Amino acid sequence: MQALSAADTTVIRGITVRRGPAREACFTVVEENSKLSFNADPDFEKGKDMSEGMRRNRIHTHMHNEMQNLEIAAQTLVDFPDTSWELRMELARQCWDESRHSAVLLRRLQEMGGHKGEFPVMHYEWNITCMQDSLAARLAIQNRTFEGGEMDILKVHVQLWRDAGDEATAALLEGILSDEIHHVRFANVWLKRLAKDDPRILLKVLTGISFMKWVSTVFAPTPEDVNASGARVADTVHPNPTNVEDRRLAEFTDQEIGELLRQDGFGHIVPRPG
Amino acid sequence: MGLSVSDRGKAVATFRYVHVELMETLAQWTPTCPEMEVKLMLGEHIWDAAQNADALGKRTRELRLPLQHSLKPVDAYVTLLEEIRQEPDTCRRLSGLYDAILPGLDARYHAYFEQTDALLDGPTVRILEQVRNTSARMIKQSRELRAELPAVGNVDHGWIETLKQRDSRIPTLVS
Repeated sequence: MQALSAADTTVIRGITVRRGPAREACFTVVEENSKLSFNADPDFEKGKDMSEGMRRNRIHTHMHNEMQNLEIAAQTLVDFPDTSWELRMELARQCWDESRHSAVLLRRLQEMGGHKGEFPVMHYEWNITCMQDSLAARLAIQNRTFEGGEMDILKVHVQLWRDAGDEATAALLEGILSDEIHHVRFANVWLKRLAKDDPRILLKVLTGISFMKWVSTVFAPTPEDVNASGARVADTVHPNPTNVEDRRLAEFTDQEIGELLRQDGFGHIVPRPG
Repeated sequence: MGLSVSDRGKAVATFRYVHVELMETLAQWTPTCPEMEVKLMLGEHIWDAAQNADALGKRTRELRLPLQHSLKPVDAYVTLLEEIRQEPDTCRRLSGLYDAILPGLDARYHAYFEQTDALLDGPTVRILEQVRNTSARMIKQSRELRAELPAVGNVDHGWIETLKQRDSRIPTLVS
């Protein structure tokens, strides 16, 4: 990969990250969670506000994330032209998948009376992932970590929309989840292959993951931060337990899934090794 | 008499190079075009170009070349592709690719059909027929999008004509 120039990067909260992709003027891009506009209506369970505005906000945020995932996969194709053709085909296919996801979410948003640019958005995943100068680190961060986390979120959200009586959106998210499993799976498969061929890439992966954790810590809102809608940021989120079934399909090992369950507070149900 | 195995291999490997280049061009434009609907169309076409390249790359092995083998086209065509790839304006990007380069390639596939033995070289002909169908869909989608979003539909006709003329003056892509 060619070294990034100063024009390719920006500084957020003192950390140098990849400068965000091009956006139409209708989008308001913010750099911090506290600048987003998620509501936390007390009539709903914490982090599960499904009022009309929040429904559109959820779809809008997801639509923008899928577009950003497309941009990350596309940029990775450009940045690593010498990688194996088989892996480039996976990334190219991912581009189409993410395009379709973003397009169906835009369609759904418009059906709900919303429009692109209606809510503020962030470039958080792009900022971190596209800063990496190794393909393995990008796969580990974007596909395995961010999209792996999206599998957990989507499982909760499918039920959230279904419970809210919106079967159309629930079915749409189920379709997206199915595609995301493969994006995580091919990353897991290729990370193993790449590490087998050259164990030194594990150092790149570790460096990348450390960077991601550092940025996440620095960017994380404090418990008392209030966002653009006047809601405490902490009240706009809910836990997303590990999606065990889909992580298995995505070729996470039992040991890796066990570790995630321990982080969720379910360590007591994880079988002990041996 | 048709084309030799070597001629066919070189032509297929050269077409493969072009489709890999198109895939990379579309990928480069995706984060740098501001317009959302354009990005989403490019994302689909990245996969189309990749599939074209993949099919051609499987055929190279059948024609005594390595699997997924590419051959760089003649310099004039490489320069043409590179200039379009580096074009910063969305309108020019779309018109350059969908109104000049893809139609120009279609004419080259047609010329290949006229030279090759369609029975002996049936597998290449089938692949190129598929590539032509895909390209026709890509062109149609780009026209529909530009009709829907007039802001990205402004075509610099003089520039497009110049591109077409430069393309047509290159007798063969095979170097």
